Amino acid sequence: MTTEVPVVDDYPARDRHQIQTLILAAVILVTVLSTVILTVVSALWFNRFGFLHFPIGFYLLSQGLLVFIVAMAFWFIRLQERLDLARSESEGLG
Amino acid sequence: MSVPSRLRTPNPHLGAYYGIVTSAFVSLIVLLAMFEQLGWSRPVLAQTMMIVPLALYLLVAAGSRTREPADFFASGRRVPPVYNGFVLAAVAIGGVGFLAYTGAVFFLGFDALAIGLGWTFGMFAAGVLFTPYLRKAGSYTLPSFLGHRFRSRSVRIAASVMQLPPTALLLAAEIKIAALIASLFLPVSFSFGVVLVAALIATIAILGGMRAVTWAGSAEFLVGAVGLVVVVTTVSVLLTNLPAPQLTYGETFSALHNAEITAGLTPVQPGDLATALPGAAPLPTVKPFLQPFGILAPMDFVALFLCIAFGTAALPSLLVRSGVTSSIADQRRSTAWGLVFVALFAMTAPAMAAFAKLIIFRDIALSPASSLPAWLVELSDKHLLQVADVNGDGAISAAELLIARDGITLALPAAAGLPYVLIVLMATAALAIALAASASHLFTLAASLAEDLYRVIDRNQALPRLVAAWAAIAATALAAAVFLVIADVDPLMAALMAFAFAAATFFPALLLAIWWRRCTKWGVTAAFATGFAVMLFDALFGAALGIGKAGFTTSLASLIGAILALAAGIAVSLYLPKPSQAEDLYREEMRDPGGETIYDRAQLRAAAAAAASAAAAEHEL
Repeated sequence: MTTEVPVVDDYPARDRHQIQTLILAAVILVTVLSTVILTVVSALWFNRFGFLHFPIGFYLLSQGLLVFIVAMAFWFIRLQERLDLARSESEGLG
Repeated sequence: MSVPSRLRTPNPHLGAYYGIVTSAFVSLIVLLAMFEQLGWSRPVLAQTMMIVPLALYLLVAAGSRTREPADFFASGRRVPPVYNGFVLAAVAIGGVGFLAYTGAVFFLGFDALAIGLGWTFGMFAAGVLFTPYLRKAGSYTLPSFLGHRFRSRSVRIAASVMQLPPTALLLAAEIKIAALIASLFLPVSFSFGVVLVAALIATIAILGGMRAVTWAGSAEFLVGAVGLVVVVTTVSVLLTNLPAPQLTYGETFSALHNAEITAGLTPVQPGDLATALPGAAPLPTVKPFLQPFGILAPMDFVALFLCIAFGTAALPSLLVRSGVTSSIADQRRSTAWGLVFVALFAMTAPAMAAFAKLIIFRDIALSPASSLPAWLVELSDKHLLQVADVNGDGAISAAELLIARDGITLALPAAAGLPYVLIVLMATAALAIALAASASHLFTLAASLAEDLYRVIDRNQALPRLVAAWAAIAATALAAAVFLVIADVDPLMAALMAFAFAAATFFPALLLAIWWRRCTKWGVTAAFATGFAVMLFDALFGAALGIGKAGFTTSLASLIGAILALAAGIAVSLYLPKPSQAEDLYREEMRDPGGETIYDRAQLRAAAAAAASAAAAEHEL
């Protein structure tokens, strides 16, 4: 193994960043996953309504949820980059 | 000791190069459309449309040739996010998605949407959970990352072996799709098509490794996207008068419903997932397009969605591309771009399936069995459809029309009455995406064989690094070609099994390795072994024991495997001694968004140490 071990000594900032990253990842994944599963379970009920000539249950599974996931992905990137910036700033101050 | 960063500036002319590639391809389409009107024969049109782009991919690969390991294995870490997104999307969708997913939506309608949703969520989950950390680690292969993370050669070897089933199955599926298209439109048999495709992707991978796979893959993605957009938009204009198929195909639903009733389709009941997905052989359509949960019950739908999602998130061929961008932020953006392209395709495939079903069922309802439409006869000649008036009532019903699942996408432009150039254009697009995906799977598999098995097992390393990789690429391509000539592989089933293997083995292992500080090498090995054992049992004995009929299907098996693997990894890690300080520090560095790529810094320091010791030895002399 050629990889060597780095030295990381800014423990409070490091731990804070890791916890915030974990919370963000968990919240965003659980939100998206539960939205998908709720939509699947409620698809028959949604199908009673229409949108752009589509039954809404079909529309959500074929397009709506995909757009939602893409939007969440870009929102996640924005939030995560903010966390990373705060971490690098605290590193600079330290 | 501080080590200066390597300069990783993307080529500023990339946009111009790929603009030229796209313009050249569009010009070829326009030229051939003119030549078709001037009376060129169909074989000449087909051969020109397919062979010119193939030559272009080879040209791009030759221009990307390299002998630098950093370029060969990680494309120099200077691929811009959008271009990496192109290749990520091509690998995730592949020829299997292009042809087999569209066919599955044709047959299952609503129920097949689980697959497209699974790909999209899987790409999203990969971007959140795995790819930024793999980028920071910077290892050239996924097993190499796990080996460094746990300071263990045995974990590296185990991960390389675990990588074989998902990557090899996808490689076989993609080569089969590409060879199928070549045999339909070029004067070659299926077996010769397999050999040609294997030789082509091996040449691309040998010329420039990941670099050539990336740049040829970007060109292939653009050809695939142009072909898909031109054909589907044209069909949309013909059927709905609007050039936005994703938004307008809902308008065709009432006509589609009427055509299905006329053809004798009635609602069906939820069945068994193992037999519910349509096979590759021509089949009758049994389910109305819009009927929800007609073949897959809601829980089967969720199981299939999660299997594909976890499999996509942990697919080695996608994750190995985490090292090609210049930074962690770029890696996140590239995964998001890949997600955008996957979502766009997943929105377009149901439109294609709905258009194809409407045209086919409307036309057979209007035509007596004695005078079938010309396109139906033409597709029958290509073995994409089989039609016979079995009950002799003078009309063709849904039960009497057998349709090849993987032929739906190729049949759409013919059924819509488009010019022959557009029929071949769709085939060229599907071939391009299948080639991009198969080259990536081939390179992932061969790079792991060379880097994680050969270089770890052979301590003397008799073969130089790149020679070992070239040999592994050639041997893997040859093995895949021989396997496909002998075996009959169903691309969709092979892909489902591949995603299931990745979901049951790599997903829990990577989750523990990246997100859990307490995970040890024994824990990750236990996770691998458990997930692999469950999937192996399902693959070997599931059908024989009749488990599939009781609902214990491949997708469900992968989820059970993933949960058991996670539990085994946690239990074994907690039971055995804690990870070493070196493992802890590697993980902490990997989680830190700043600083150098860990692998690159280690390489630079190793090179500096070797140079210093050489200089010292020279000084002593």
